[in-house]
Amino acid sequence: MVNRIEGGQRKVTALELAAIADALQARMQSFFTDPAPSIVSHRSAQGLDATESAVDHLLTELAAAVEFLHGLRPIQGLATREPWEPPTSTEAVEGMAARARAEAGYGPDEPAKNLQDHLATAGLLLFSQDFGADAADAGSVLLEEGGVAIVNSAPKVGRRRLSAVHEFGHYLLADEYTVDWRTAHTGPDIEGRIDRFARAFLLPATAMASVWPRAVTANGTRTAAVTIAGSYLVDMSTLARRLQDLDLVDASTANDIRAVQTTQTDIVTHDLYPSHELEGLTQPRTYQKHVLALFEAEKISRDRALGLLGGTFTDADLPELPPRQEQEIWEYVS
Amino acid sequence: MTEGPVTHVFDTGPLRHFTLNGWLGVLKFLTGGRIVIPESVEREIKDQQHQHAALRQILDADWITVDRSDDLEYLAAFARYEEHLVDGGRNRGECGVLALGRTRGHRIVIDDNVPRVLAKNEKLDCTGTLGLLCEAIRADKLTVFLVESLADDLLASEYRLPFGPGGFRQWAAENGLLT
Repeated sequence: MVNRIEGGQRKVTALELAAIADALQARMQSFFTDPAPSIVSHRSAQGLDATESAVDHLLTELAAAVEFLHGLRPIQGLATREPWEPPTSTEAVEGMAARARAEAGYGPDEPAKNLQDHLATAGLLLFSQDFGADAADAGSVLLEEGGVAIVNSAPKVGRRRLSAVHEFGHYLLADEYTVDWRTAHTGPDIEGRIDRFARAFLLPATAMASVWPRAVTANGTRTAAVTIAGSYLVDMSTLARRLQDLDLVDASTANDIRAVQTTQTDIVTHDLYPSHELEGLTQPRTYQKHVLALFEAEKISRDRALGLLGGTFTDADLPELPPRQEQEIWEYVS
Repeated sequence: MTEGPVTHVFDTGPLRHFTLNGWLGVLKFLTGGRIVIPESVEREIKDQQHQHAALRQILDADWITVDRSDDLEYLAAFARYEEHLVDGGRNRGECGVLALGRTRGHRIVIDDNVPRVLAKNEKLDCTGTLGLLCEAIRADKLTVFLVESLADDLLASEYRLPFGPGGFRQWAAENGLLT
């Protein structure tokens, strides 16, 4: 049968096409519509021999889902935006981070918590899923309005957050399609600058310049590292690198900081509250609200809503739809 | 009775209601024997036969034809409706019904509200089980007494209308359906 279909002697029926889509873990609609232009150009650049990773697959799927939902009713925060100029100096990187924090609704020195909510206000919908330790750290795709990013939840929370902000950097620079395998390099290329951007976003320069020396003077390097990393929700490696970026520590102290491990006693003693951001399968609240609203407006079915919520909701979590008005019976009897 | 050469395309739910109540013959009368089902509905009926052997009658009825369209227009419409309705293979019957209504101009018979809203927005001719029951009462093929249990159940569950037991009978009396 496949030979006959391939040879054009026989067409496929809807159920056969649906079965093909299921086997490819794709939606049937993907056979009839082009994906986002950024995905098209990425695939063109990759050529026919490229294999698709799990991160690539989910990015494509989420991009299509977001575009479908946005087409039914505009998702709050998603809009066309002017790309930012790629930074060509460390000063420009620091400036980009400060501007990005403001764009995401953070105060100048405030710890950047709840990244999913804040990045969504700037139009980037951030999802997480466990792809395992051997997969990419993160990826993002630019849509005509807004963007979608995925963070691999296998690494610890500090690296997850760093990866998330790294993808935000790509998004602000209007990089069409990115999959980042290790978001922690320090080179002078654009990836290195985006990594510095991510550190600067999570650990603002002015805050570090005042908080770090004061904390060291009061409690010593180890406790200073524990409390600042715990408050700003970064890992020790990111903190050490950032303090070096800002010339607040030398290489030797940076190495000492990298070796620090936060203990349960530290958490209790210093009133720290470990973050569970981007742990396992997560979706931005904006996206979930949008799916629920479309379900309640009966634009999508209960099954489709659950599918779009990707396992973050059970059937029992979805609301019962309210009763109709008595006179609406006329809709059903004619 | 439904006028002219209108072909009805049925979703699984309405066909099941009429068949399990023994009213398939009424349906043949009401539709002039012109019923099609997409193969996605045929699949759902075959799947449900294990629970309800009577559903076999639908597949055996020579006046109910299975549409196995494979033209691009139909497939594209089917895929478009899938976006609203389907996950994990569920609700493909509804997609086939809507796609046949859209591309062939058939009258759609469906109870679920999301596909009904889609049909309404696209100005497709659409009715449901309750609409056909009312047609059957008007045509003296069924009585309010016979259908009220199913009608009450549909009103309260699938249609989410504020009618309790006996509500359909009362509504029918108030609106001249009993005369």
